[in-house]
Amino acid sequence: MPEQENPFQETLLSRHRAEPCTVVIFGATGDLTNRKLIPAFYNIAAAGDLPPQFKVVGFARREKTDEGFRSELETGNRKNSRQGHSDELWGSFAQCIHYHRSEFEDPAGYVQLKLLLDKFDQERGAPANRLFYLASAPEAFKPILEMIRAAGLSEGVGGKWARVVCEKPFGKDLATARGLNAVVAETFEEKDTYRIDHYLGKETAQNIMVLRFANSIFEPNWNSRYIDHVQITCAENLGMEGGRGGYYDTAGALRDMVQNHLFQLLTLVAMEPPTDLSADSVRDEKVKVIRALRPLIGPEAVGKNVIRAQYTAGSVDGVSRVGYRQEDRVNPESKTEPYVALRIMIDTWRWQGVPFYIRVGKQLPKKATEISVHFKKPPQVPFATSDLLKNSENTLVIRIQPDEGIALRILCKQPGQAMNVQQVKMDFRYSSSFGKASPEAYERLLLDAMAGDATLFARRDEVEHAWKFIDEIEHAWHKSATPPPMHEYPAGSWGPKEADDLLRADGREWRLL
Amino acid sequence: MPSTLPSDSDLGRLGLETPIARIDRALKEIWNDDEAKTRASLINLAIYTEDSAILAADNDLLAHVAAEHACRALLILALPEARPPRARAWIQALCRPYQGKQIVCSEQLSFVLEGGDAAQVQNIVFAHLDSDLPLVVWWQADLTQNFEERFYSRIDTLIIDSSRWTNPAKQFDALLAAMNAETAGFDVRDLAWTRSHFMRTALASCFQDAAALQNLARLETIRITHLKGQRTAALLLAVWINQRLKTMLQLELIEKDSGPALQSLVIEGEGVRGEVRRDCDSSFINVCTSCGQHEHKDLLPADVDSDAELVSEQLSRFHGSTLYSTMLPFVRGMLN
Repeated sequence: MPEQENPFQETLLSRHRAEPCTVVIFGATGDLTNRKLIPAFYNIAAAGDLPPQFKVVGFARREKTDEGFRSELETGNRKNSRQGHSDELWGSFAQCIHYHRSEFEDPAGYVQLKLLLDKFDQERGAPANRLFYLASAPEAFKPILEMIRAAGLSEGVGGKWARVVCEKPFGKDLATARGLNAVVAETFEEKDTYRIDHYLGKETAQNIMVLRFANSIFEPNWNSRYIDHVQITCAENLGMEGGRGGYYDTAGALRDMVQNHLFQLLTLVAMEPPTDLSADSVRDEKVKVIRALRPLIGPEAVGKNVIRAQYTAGSVDGVSRVGYRQEDRVNPESKTEPYVALRIMIDTWRWQGVPFYIRVGKQLPKKATEISVHFKKPPQVPFATSDLLKNSENTLVIRIQPDEGIALRILCKQPGQAMNVQQVKMDFRYSSSFGKASPEAYERLLLDAMAGDATLFARRDEVEHAWKFIDEIEHAWHKSATPPPMHEYPAGSWGPKEADDLLRADGREWRLL
Repeated sequence: MPSTLPSDSDLGRLGLETPIARIDRALKEIWNDDEAKTRASLINLAIYTEDSAILAADNDLLAHVAAEHACRALLILALPEARPPRARAWIQALCRPYQGKQIVCSEQLSFVLEGGDAAQVQNIVFAHLDSDLPLVVWWQADLTQNFEERFYSRIDTLIIDSSRWTNPAKQFDALLAAMNAETAGFDVRDLAWTRSHFMRTALASCFQDAAALQNLARLETIRITHLKGQRTAALLLAVWINQRLKTMLQLELIEKDSGPALQSLVIEGEGVRGEVRRDCDSSFINVCTSCGQHEHKDLLPADVDSDAELVSEQLSRFHGSTLYSTMLPFVRGMLN
């Protein structure tokens, strides 16, 4: 019998509404569940967008009861929920939270999990969709996926779907990413695989496509004829606090940030207009950008285009900071880069000759993620000497975080008798224009995963092509006989001098944030 | 409609009284006084009323709405019967703190138009819009006299509250005529319809239950309990249910003297029952679906209640819907 549509559901929402669903979180006792996932589900519930008859099951090794698990999550929710905490709502929401104790490698644990999910379906009176969220350490992905498959959980029941959400890092190089993709592919089809990158859930990241494709004034100028270069900066004013040095020292800025978050921003800026807004149309265009990145092969090319650096002791906001190698859980001989700056060329008709400069670093003066598009100067300016117009090109700045918004720098005549020209800024701020706070990135992404919209998730080929580009740089750094040097910068500065030289050699400079 | 002037204390709350010809200059002076303030505006939001008793409430409402939706706010009290004709204006900045250091403000212009006719209302509104921004008008009066073609043809979004109308049948006729006019291109948002949003969402949730969904065809009756004065909201809800089910269920409306605008909705038939209930003072709604022995209960957030929150909610939904306009002829039919 064909499945009957709920006639009341239609017409209520401008987005797909998720159907009844059970979410199983693997590694549920970790920080992510407590700090991000459960507060996100709670806020979705507070907005009335949670699918009816929703259930979430925490799957982890530690011994806990449902009540104990709920109580821990309640404490976390009080601290982390964006919209505050209501005892009444929590009381109802918490009833949908359950805990299932098992080792990740124990087949019996998955048999028990299946029984639990079947029991929920029985209580609902019909099978529900199932979403498996891998929030564990990446090493555990493989056994978890194998066990899911062995227990028959990877197939939807009664016409419903089963999907998997994979947290980053998705591999640590091309080989491991391919291995992981192969394991995932043995268990779930690509259409049911959602590789999460929370940067894509941010309001301003989503707004890049709207800005480009819904405003007719930008797209005609969005090419090498009018754009001089693009800068993408992700600055953090923190170091390795909270014990994160242990993981970070095995990854570094290039793998931790550039391969995923910053490449996602790069693709949104550089992609061609998709034919429609379906997940694959958008992702097809993003993959084309990644495939068109001019490879940096060998230490010479890498040395010329990529600057890596470690911070030395210094101060941020007047507080003394130790150097990277002195940080907690960081190898004193570490060759990992907490700072990297790259000059990237995209070999497409649109972007021929336009460099994309990317920089990301720890212990920089402030926390900010921004994209700036620097337009070419007019061919002839009759108003002032070239000195006065230094760094005065029109610049469009897209602020991803904090203070999300868009600013456009233009030149104006100063009031007065003389024809003096001055830079002014037209500034749009999300918070001052829209009084309502934006949802957290995880809220949007979890809803999308439950509703089957994969647009804001990375696809297999996207991830692998990104790793292919990154691997060449890593090889030049760590496997060549003449690796490019590791530079240094004092904590609290804007990075090493060599990163400034990277742009200076092209007659440009980093934007002052 | 009373033609009495507002009290001095109500007028005093509108800000700084300014000659109409000096409004632009006076607004500039507000911003020159304090550089820490940022002016923001995404829409022109005009409230039109002919009831001086609600001027103060509308003034408060604009402050609430502007905190979420940066706008050029226009508050217009027209007293068409008042004589002699006279127009007065007030200006104020509606400010809210932003990130603890900066103040973000919208501008509010208030007008009291004694003897205000259609031409005067139009002149006042059109002369004081923030250019290039959409015009949203909440028309609180009856759709007669000053609500005429040259005015509504420039409106982008028209907000009404059909539950406030003393003669809904006549007003729906006027609304339908305006919507069908050749020059009309406005999108209508009826707060009476918005009030039922949580009921509709909850009802959809009821019938996500697989067993209940299989028994939709058995449904026979709708029973809606509503606050006195909210009959239109209840009727709109009933029409929507019938449209969704492509049928005509038997309808019973129960009126209460106190409580939320819409208090409960029971939809039932042989062996199947869905109930959505909102208790007094609760910000949640109880949903219960039963089908034979099978029963499912849920707790969902209730929607906002106050006019200010309803308007704010409407402004958050940028896109209009044709659903409301398709229901109007049916609702109009039930009012005969």
